[in-house]
Amino acid sequence: MQITKIIYVELFKIFRKPRTYIAFGAIAAIVGLIQLGFYADGESYMKFGMQSLEESFDVKGKILNGYLMAYIILQTLLVHVPLLIALVSADMISGEANMGTLRLLLTKPVGRTELILGKFIASSIYTMLLLFWMAIWALGISILIFGAGDMLILKSDLVTQIIQSDVFWRYLAAFGFASIAMIAVSAMAFFLSIFSENSIGPIMATMSIIIIFTILNTLDLPIFNHIKPYLFTTHMLGWKGFFDVQVDENNVQIMGSIENLRGVLISAGILIIHIFGFLLGSIYVFKRKDILT
Amino acid sequence: MLSYGYHHSFILLIQIQHLSKSFGSFTAVNDLSFSVKEGEVYGFLGQNGAGKSTTIRMMLSLIRPSVGTIRIFDKDLSTERNQILRHVGAVVEKADLYNYLSAYENMRIFSLLSGVNLTRSEILYKLAVVGLEQRAGDKVKVYSQGMKQRLGIAVAMVNDPKLIILDEPTNGLDPQGIADIRNLIIQLSKEMHKTVLVSSHLLSEVELIADSMLIIHKGKKIVEGSVAALLDPALVQVEISTTDNLQTISALSNSQWAGQMQKLDAFKIILEVKKEEIAVLSKWIVDQGIGLTGLHSSNRLENYFLSLTSAHADN
Repeated sequence: MQITKIIYVELFKIFRKPRTYIAFGAIAAIVGLIQLGFYADGESYMKFGMQSLEESFDVKGKILNGYLMAYIILQTLLVHVPLLIALVSADMISGEANMGTLRLLLTKPVGRTELILGKFIASSIYTMLLLFWMAIWALGISILIFGAGDMLILKSDLVTQIIQSDVFWRYLAAFGFASIAMIAVSAMAFFLSIFSENSIGPIMATMSIIIIFTILNTLDLPIFNHIKPYLFTTHMLGWKGFFDVQVDENNVQIMGSIENLRGVLISAGILIIHIFGFLLGSIYVFKRKDILT
Repeated sequence: MLSYGYHHSFILLIQIQHLSKSFGSFTAVNDLSFSVKEGEVYGFLGQNGAGKSTTIRMMLSLIRPSVGTIRIFDKDLSTERNQILRHVGAVVEKADLYNYLSAYENMRIFSLLSGVNLTRSEILYKLAVVGLEQRAGDKVKVYSQGMKQRLGIAVAMVNDPKLIILDEPTNGLDPQGIADIRNLIIQLSKEMHKTVLVSSHLLSEVELIADSMLIIHKGKKIVEGSVAALLDPALVQVEISTTDNLQTISALSNSQWAGQMQKLDAFKIILEVKKEEIAVLSKWIVDQGIGLTGLHSSNRLENYFLSLTSAHADN
């Protein structure tokens, strides 16, 4: 019962802070701008992209639809969303230490483990709500503006077409996966916030770690290849795997299939291990921490 | 039903035994032992940096002791923290609250976390006790420091605690704010029958509100006892200055006050005498043909505390 009260109190505090709405506003603004841009110039942009394809294929119908827009938006935004998540998660402990409310919280009959769990769950709920908000804008509003249809994904060496009836569940799964990835980021920011007495440090540290790991991922050097599979940043874009459709022996797509399901599950598993690692680390450190602020 | 440790005819609410806390090579609290009786206002006195806040933080489990035991309500804090804190309210240093929330909202969330579900009228009643019911809906960020401190005490009382711990509650307040907090502490003790442990670096503050007190210096206990006994008005220190201090010392050495002289030099003569003896002493000096140019009486403990303060300042 106590943990539900802590979660309620933490969510109440999160949603009474003005900074919480920066993230929601930023997502609405960025997605809205991308949609406006594609609404105005999307057709010419797509024609340019499809030039080489039209020499080999007879492309009919509307390529730029809500599903493709959502894919473009997700690919663009999910790299930046960690900053918006860190704004709240990195503040969960350090912000309280900075305000001096942490010592007041801990003079109440609330266990430290319970407090960490409650705060972590609240920050995870915030993360999921942020992604739900993003889904509404990226998918819902895009379908309203651009309509639905088969989804065409252009990659460097291949084009994938997914028929309309096989797309929507993939987005649900993709947003589910993205939630796990973003909760891993949230867990790291949360863990770092225990060591600081203001939220700037953990926010900067979270972003720095993501940037460094992302750079390591892009460097094709043998020395880094051994650690890459274990970096959470390697798996953050694993949601794309839901849009790789398996084909049968006749090269026909199998409805409802995922080409590399095992890879997607391994990525999700590694992200979940990171989440539990950071959470257990947070509990371990916080239980031993002297509250001196 | 709580059961506490009994000692003679009174109940010991807090029992601290051989408490120490070190941060690296620095010892903030050094082998401190004391006890607080139920129903009393206990003054915890010491200069800034004496170890008061560290001790209070250990009593609230904010800091883990290096050595020693803390028993509150006859329960061990290290094993029964939550059961103990259900009956404790505290303001540690400044009353820092959620500035972006109203006083009412702060009270509401801390009551939930304290395991009590106060109704709106109960919250407003508790705010009325500290004189803030008219400002219940205002965000805390617009409150003065004194109002925040009073709200902090109201937040400490959300669970109707048996024990209230206040760490330097008058710090940073104007004279009116100090008087308000002082009256509130007296009200908590006398009308609401709470046990209050209040720390301060001002003897004058503790003297006005406390029944018992403890003085610590550099983390060690200096003196503990009832305020009435420690600040015994019957015995005072008298500082004398005369036209010829050396002659005065010589005369005093052969007088009834010979054993009561504490400090003697060419500039200062200090004796410890009964209050009613001051007039007799001054007449006796004049009768010796010595001109009395100054006589100042003060409390022994006050002088002792001031000496600690000045020694600290010298360091």
